[in-house]
Amino acid sequence: MSRDSKLLGLLPIAGLILLWGWLAASGMAPKALLPSPVAVAQRLVELLGQGDFWAHIATTLFRLVTGFLIALVAGTALAILSASSEVTQTAVNAFVRILAPLPKIALYPAMILILGFGHSSKIALVAIEAAFPIYLATYQGMRNVDQKLIWAARSAGASRLHCLLFVMLPAAAPSILTGARVALVISCIVVFLSEMMSSTEGLGYVLIDAARNFRTIDMFVPIILISALGLGLGAGLSALRKRLLTGYPQA
Amino acid sequence: MSRHLPSICAGLVLLLMWQLAHLSFGLSGLPGPMAAFAALPELISDADALYDIGQSLQRMAAGYLLAAAFGISFGLLMGTSPLAERLLNPLIMMIYPIPKAALMPILMIWLGIGDMSKILVIFLGSSLPIIYHSWQGGRSVSQIVVWSAAAMGMNRAQRLFRIVLPAALPEIFIGLRTGLILALITMVVSEIVARSNGIGNLLFNSMDMALYDRMFAAIIIIAAMGYALDLIFEAIRRRFLRWSDQQDQIQVAVG
Amino acid sequence: MIAIEHLSKRFKTAAGKDHLALSDINLELQSGEFVSIIGPSGCGKSTLLYMIGGFVPASDGKILIDGRPVTGPGPDRGPVFQEFALFAWKTVLQNIAYGLRLQGKSKPEAEERARVLLRMVGLERFANFYPKELSGGMKQRVAIARTLAYNPEILLMDEPFGALDAHTRTHLQRDLLRIWEEHRKTVLFVTHSVEEAVYLSDRVIVMAAGPGRIARIIPIELERPRQRSELMFDRRYQEYITEIEGMIDAFEAAAA
Ligand SMILES: Nc1ncnc2c1ncn2[C@@H]1O[C@H](COP(=O)(O)OP(=O)(O)OP(=O)(O)O)[C@@H](O)[C@H]1O
Ligand SMILES: [Mg+2]
Repeated sequence: MSRDSKLLGLLPIAGLILLWGWLAASGMAPKALLPSPVAVAQRLVELLGQGDFWAHIATTLFRLVTGFLIALVAGTALAILSASSEVTQTAVNAFVRILAPLPKIALYPAMILILGFGHSSKIALVAIEAAFPIYLATYQGMRNVDQKLIWAARSAGASRLHCLLFVMLPAAAPSILTGARVALVISCIVVFLSEMMSSTEGLGYVLIDAARNFRTIDMFVPIILISALGLGLGAGLSALRKRLLTGYPQA
Repeated sequence: MSRHLPSICAGLVLLLMWQLAHLSFGLSGLPGPMAAFAALPELISDADALYDIGQSLQRMAAGYLLAAAFGISFGLLMGTSPLAERLLNPLIMMIYPIPKAALMPILMIWLGIGDMSKILVIFLGSSLPIIYHSWQGGRSVSQIVVWSAAAMGMNRAQRLFRIVLPAALPEIFIGLRTGLILALITMVVSEIVARSNGIGNLLFNSMDMALYDRMFAAIIIIAAMGYALDLIFEAIRRRFLRWSDQQDQIQVAVG
Repeated sequence: MIAIEHLSKRFKTAAGKDHLALSDINLELQSGEFVSIIGPSGCGKSTLLYMIGGFVPASDGKILIDGRPVTGPGPDRGPVFQEFALFAWKTVLQNIAYGLRLQGKSKPEAEERARVLLRMVGLERFANFYPKELSGGMKQRVAIARTLAYNPEILLMDEPFGALDAHTRTHLQRDLLRIWEEHRKTVLFVTHSVEEAVYLSDRVIVMAAGPGRIARIIPIELERPRQRSELMFDRRYQEYITEIEGMIDAFEAAAA
C-alpha cells in the first residue's frame, strides 16, 4: 500500500476523534459521561507512567500470548493428527463438531471452578476459543493440498510422516497463518472479557474497576490499550507472515 | 444417522470425561452431569427465568438482524469500491480487536441499562465479522465476471445485487455465522457485566452463590442455545448455498 | 521392464455406482523404451499412469516392475505432472535437491548434483528463485530436473507439456529427447498431440474410451537421433500422423 492510501485510511479515524472532541466540548454530554479525547490521552500518558498499570498490561499480554500460543500448537497438532488417517480424522472432527458451536465462554465459570481465579482459567479460555479457528484453517489447508505434490514427494522416497510434516504442513502454511490471524483477534476479545468477568488484575479488570467507581475516563483507557495490543500483535503476525511465506504465491 | 454417529459418540465421551472429573474432584467442588441435568427442570419451570431468557433472545435477534443488514451493505461497499476500502480498512482493523461487550459499562452510563444499550452492544459485537467477511467476499468476486455483466448492460446496482452479492454469499455466510456466535457471547457477557436479568446473570449468580448444580444447568442451557442457533443457521445456509462447493465445511465458530 | 497384465480400474461414483474407468489393459514396456499414450479425454490415461506410479491402487490385474508387483510409490518411478507440482516454499535448487536429500545425501553433495541437473535443463541462473518467479516452461524444466535428480529408471509423464505454449513446447521436446538419448530411461508419456507422440516415441499406444482400453499399438520406425526440422519433410512421419489421427477419429465416431 502506498503512503498516500495509508494517510487516506487515517482520515475516518481522525474524523471520529474530532467528532468525539466536538461532542465533548459542545457540552451536550456532561464531562462525567463523555470525557474529551485530550483528557483521555492525558490520562493514558499518566497511567503509563505508573508501574502497577504496566503490571496490568503485562498480565493481560501474558495471558493473551500464552493462550494464543497454546492454541496454535494444539490446533496445529490436532490438524496434523486429523490429516494423518481416516480414523483419526473421523474421531477429531466428531469432537470438533460437538464443541465448535458451543459458546465456550459459558464454560468459563466451570474453568474457574477447576483452575481457580488466577492466570490458568483465563489462559484456558483463550486457548480453547482460539484453538478452533486454527484447527479448522490448518485442517482445511492440509486437505486442500494438491495431491500431486504429495505424490511427487512420495515418489522421491518420502515416508508418510515426512509428507505430513514437510509437504502438507508447509503447503498449508498460508491457511494456518490466516487462521492464526482470526485466532489472535479472538484471543484479544476473550482475554479482556474473562478479566472483566472475574479477575483482580489485567486490563479487563481495570475497566470494570473504573465502571464500579464511575470513573468514566478510566474506562476509555483499557479499551484503547486492548485495541492497540490487537493492532500491534496483528502487525507482528503480518511481518512474520511475510517472512515465512517468501516463495508462496500471493503472499 | 450414521453420519452423526461419531459426533454422538464424541458427545458421550465428553459427558463421561465430565463424570470422571466430577468423581476425581470430590463431591463438594464440581457437580456431575447427572446433578446438572437434574437441576435443569427447576430452572426451566421458573417462569420469571424463562421470561428473562426470552427477552434476552429478542434483544439478540434485534441486534443481530440490524448488524446483518448493516454489515453486509457496508462490507460489500468496501469490497467493491477501492476508495471506500482504503478509507475504512484501518478503522475496521482498529476496532475489530476491541471486545464490544467491554463497551457495556460505558453504554450503560450513557443509555441506561434498558434494551437500547444491550441491543446496541450486540449490534456492535456481531457487525464486525459480518463487515469483514462481506468485504473479503466482495473483493474476491472475479473482476472478469463483473465486466461481463457490465458488457451485458447491467447497471451498477444490478451488478451489485445480481452478481456480486450471490458470488460473495459463501464468504458472507462465514461472517454471519461468526457474527451469530459473537451475538450470543456478547449477550451473555453483557448480562454478566450489567448484572441484569438474563441467562448470563443466572450463570454468574449461581456461581457467586455456590449453587454449582444450577450453574452447570445454566451452562447446559447456553450450550443448547448455541446448538439450536447453529442448526437453524445451517439449514438456512444450505438452502442458499446449494450451488456452492463449500456446502459441507465445518464452520469456524469464532468468538 | 514394466509388465501390465489384465489391469482394470473401477471407481465408485458419488451415487454409489461402479464406474469402469479402465478395462483389461495388457502391455509390456522394454527398458529404455519411449512409449506415448494418446486417446480421447476421460479414457483413463492419467489413471493408468497413476496406477503404475503406485499412487492409485488397481481394482484387478497386476503391474510388475522387473518382476516385482507395484505396492506403492517408489524412487524407481518418477512422475512429471502437467501441473508441475513444485514445492512453493523451496527454491529451484532446493526443489531439485529434495529427492537426493531424502536418499540421505549430504546437503553439499545434493546441491552439487542439483546444479548439474539445473545446467542440463538450462536454468543455472535461476537456482535461488522461487517457483512463483518462473514462467510455465521454466517450472516444468524444474519439475523434470527434480524427478531426474533421484535417477528413477522409469519416467511417468502426464501431459507434461500440455500447459505450455507451442514454442516452449518444441524446446522442451527437444531437450527431453536429448536427455533421453543420453540416459536411456524408460519413458511413459501421455499426450494429446499426435505429432508430439510420433516425434518422441518408439511406440504409440492409442486408447479408446467407454470403458478405457488399448485400441492399437503402433511402432514408430523412424531413425534416431531425430531432428524435428528434418522429420517435417519425412513422408513416413507425415503418414504416421495421418494414420493415427484417422484412427482416433474412427474410434470416436464408433463410440458416438
Ligand atoms: N477419483 C476419481 N473418482 C471417480 N472417477 C474418476 C476418478 N478419477 C478418474 N475418474 C474417472 O476415470 C476416467 C478416466 O479418467 P482419467 O483422468 O484417467 O482420464 P484421462 O484419459 O487422463 O483424461 P484427460 O485426457 O482429460 O486427462 C474418467 O471417466 C473419470 O471420470
Ligand atoms: Mg489426464
